[in-house]
Amino acid sequence: MSDNLGLAQLSDHLLITAVVIYSLAMLAYAGDFAYGRRVKPAASAKTSRPVAELAGVRAGSVAASAEPPAAATPAAVNQPADGRERLGPLIRGAIALTYAGLAVHLAGVITRGLAVHRVPWGDMYEFVTALTCVTVVFFVALMMRYRAWHLGVFVMGAVVVALGLAQTVIYTPAGPLVPALQSYWLAIHVAAMTLSVGIFFVAAVLGVVYLFAERYNRRVAAGRSPADHGIMRRLPGAEELDRLTYRTVIFGFPIWTFGIIAGAIWADQAWGRYWGWDPVETWAFITWVVYACFLHARATAGWRGRRAAYIQLIGFAALLFNILVVQTFITGLHSYAGLG
Amino acid sequence: MTDVRTPEAGGGGAAPGEFVPGDPAPPKLPAAGRFGVTAWARWGWRQLTSMRIALVLLFLLALGSVPGSLLPQEGIDPAAVQQYYTAHPALAPFLNAFGLFNVFAAPWFAAIYLLLFVSLAGCVLPRAYRLARSARALPPAAPRLLSRLPNSVRYETTMTPAEASAAAEAFLARRRFRLHRGDGWLSAEKGYRREFGNLLFHIALIGVLVSVSLGGLLGYKADRVVVEGSSFADTVTDLDAYHPGHLVSPSDLAPFSLTLDKFTASYILSGPDRDQPSVFGAHVSYTAQPGGPVRSYDIQVNHPLSVDSTKVYLIGHGYAPVFRVTDGRGKVVYDQATPFLPAETSTYLSEGVVKVPDAQPEQLGFAGVFLPTAVDVDGQLQSAFPAPYQPAVSMIPYSGNLGLNSGVPQSVYQLDTSGMHRLDTPVQVLTPGQSMKLPNGAGTLTFTGYKQWISLQVTYDPGQVPALISGIVALAGLLLSFLVRRRRIFVRAYPGESGRTVVDVGGLARSDVGGGFETEFAELAAGLGAAFHGTSRSDRPVPVTATTPPRGDDDPAPTTEETRSAETE
Repeated sequence: MSDNLGLAQLSDHLLITAVVIYSLAMLAYAGDFAYGRRVKPAASAKTSRPVAELAGVRAGSVAASAEPPAAATPAAVNQPADGRERLGPLIRGAIALTYAGLAVHLAGVITRGLAVHRVPWGDMYEFVTALTCVTVVFFVALMMRYRAWHLGVFVMGAVVVALGLAQTVIYTPAGPLVPALQSYWLAIHVAAMTLSVGIFFVAAVLGVVYLFAERYNRRVAAGRSPADHGIMRRLPGAEELDRLTYRTVIFGFPIWTFGIIAGAIWADQAWGRYWGWDPVETWAFITWVVYACFLHARATAGWRGRRAAYIQLIGFAALLFNILVVQTFITGLHSYAGLG
Repeated sequence: MTDVRTPEAGGGGAAPGEFVPGDPAPPKLPAAGRFGVTAWARWGWRQLTSMRIALVLLFLLALGSVPGSLLPQEGIDPAAVQQYYTAHPALAPFLNAFGLFNVFAAPWFAAIYLLLFVSLAGCVLPRAYRLARSARALPPAAPRLLSRLPNSVRYETTMTPAEASAAAEAFLARRRFRLHRGDGWLSAEKGYRREFGNLLFHIALIGVLVSVSLGGLLGYKADRVVVEGSSFADTVTDLDAYHPGHLVSPSDLAPFSLTLDKFTASYILSGPDRDQPSVFGAHVSYTAQPGGPVRSYDIQVNHPLSVDSTKVYLIGHGYAPVFRVTDGRGKVVYDQATPFLPAETSTYLSEGVVKVPDAQPEQLGFAGVFLPTAVDVDGQLQSAFPAPYQPAVSMIPYSGNLGLNSGVPQSVYQLDTSGMHRLDTPVQVLTPGQSMKLPNGAGTLTFTGYKQWISLQVTYDPGQVPALISGIVALAGLLLSFLVRRRRIFVRAYPGESGRTVVDVGGLARSDVGGGFETEFAELAAGLGAAFHGTSRSDRPVPVTATTPPRGDDDPAPTTEETRSAETE
């Protein structure tokens, strides 16, 4: 039962350090926007379609019969035809800081778990620190694949805010769990929820950036020259952002579904019913339905694009409302936030 | 839910090749002149099963759930609803008229989800039928100009067109593509499991709804408070709050009986989480049917007792002080444990009443508090800790008419003092064994000790397992529809100008939500190129990039038409 206070303190310090490093990373990403070398607006640099199909297969596929074509590399954005985008020193620094912050963040989450001898997502503070960790991991994975590192400023900004709030407003000292939470379903249900919220977090950031890119496109189409030209040119195009958002959501959606099912199984063990419209259950359901709306809207004429993006953001708003308001202020069976 | 209505939609890698035609022609209003009943019904049905209406219904479902989480609900906390009525006497009846205190059982909420499920079934079932019929259908003919497809490559080879076609067919057959061969062309398609997964997901959702209603009709739920040392049987008369489903008869209840031997709770003694419970356990003995063997079990918060698929859950606990009351004649008229309700969960300060209808000359009643760890803070009696370290009670005596025969049902936790008067005694704190004498020889109250009680919930829900299975199937369908991409490869071989054979290879992902079709196409194209080379043994096939016609970015119409017509076949 005794919690390791030394480890708990170490965890607190590590997480504060992570916020500091993330903030520096955010500044470096932002600095790259402001002072970084301008990428020449090559025709392919702004292509909204993955370039592989053309660059690799049709145009440059001299090696089609002998060796795997160059197109085997994943779709890329903002990538000149000659290879990888050359990144400026500021953005390289930002990426390094992202990795460093992530390592410290991960260590903070793990030491918290070691300090309390259980999975490190038993109260709201732990939940937020874990889900932001998922967000950064997912962001790094996404960016390694799609090389749109410039989105880092938005992701880092959102993570810094969330993690900062976790450490100031909802901080809860390390402690043991109430009996209702002493179940291996805590590891399964809350892990799935943490994972999917972390992923939906990335999708929401991408969705917001998409809305800006879309507005930018409309302005350019209208013949105006928007002020944010320099920033938008470095970001993936609206179509690419839309696609990235969609892929991110469909990655998170089955995990969220699984989390709800796992939660239902646990609720059946702990509370005597698998579904009882507890406020948190209700909002998990609402979130699920709104994300389902997004998936359908994206396939429906007249709803694609901007409207679908708004629906996605409504879904994330429902998610945030559930975490920040329902679990914290509305009495229900899920009142475990540890803030009482 | 995914894109039921438009199978080929859904984003993905190949932007121009990904067909998003949207709804199949929006439903038209019946012509004004001759709108028969059938025409209207048909129009209504097409509206209902259109994606647009389904989207609106989905939104309404989400929106309709919101008041269910923000307002107190009858089904979850009836007491909170009463409190709301007291706090907002003007607003509450208005809200109640719209069923907002019982949203999830309200007719309008049922209307939304039933319409949604009818819409879903109206769309999914015909598509399942079409998928089943198309199980052996062939992919559509290859488009004329493969270079207009989102992915294409051109080879030259010394093989004859027929040989090249045969080589491509053999290669794609090995990759388990479904093949369709025509005059000089070959179509291959793969990934039918995507549509299957999509349909499976939606049908499983209907399964979830059916399972839930099954539980509502055939299941039951009841509560029971049990004091240590006492028992109850799972019968309608012996349960406290019995809520049977519509088709449940009293004889359907599992015939078990259960005795609470001992309840233990431990609490955290220090630190920031002081007063928090750390372990609960109810040690019970039970028999599955009358005369059966007695078994024992330790019911804990996450470990319900399961008897013949009926489950018994530990949902609450509290203290039951034991009182002995002697009336004015010196006769013991009350001697039992009386469950008190916890008023403060952090200290388990509990409130309760003792009703002694048999006392003479007048009926006696007591209202007061039980303190597990009684401390005196500035003359104020408080409980310092939830565990019984220093148990004490403080009771206020009343005498008169308890009002038990008035016909109005009374709570066992409340005293109706309207027909009683308070006996004039100083407030006394009793520890176990101590008594208080009532004035005017009305009798004596003795606090002899305490027991603990637990509140159990008895649940039988036959919809549980079907709901779980439906949920898992839905998840599997979801993953299938997200992970599998449906794609087509087309090959056209024809004699070229140089005397060699030109082979065009085109590819199209009809749904590629996960992305990555470009990569797969590149590999397939490379494999096909090797196949043409491998059998000809002459010079290597040369991808001709120079002769590739410009891509029809501005005019993707041909491919779109191909695919759409394929869809309607």
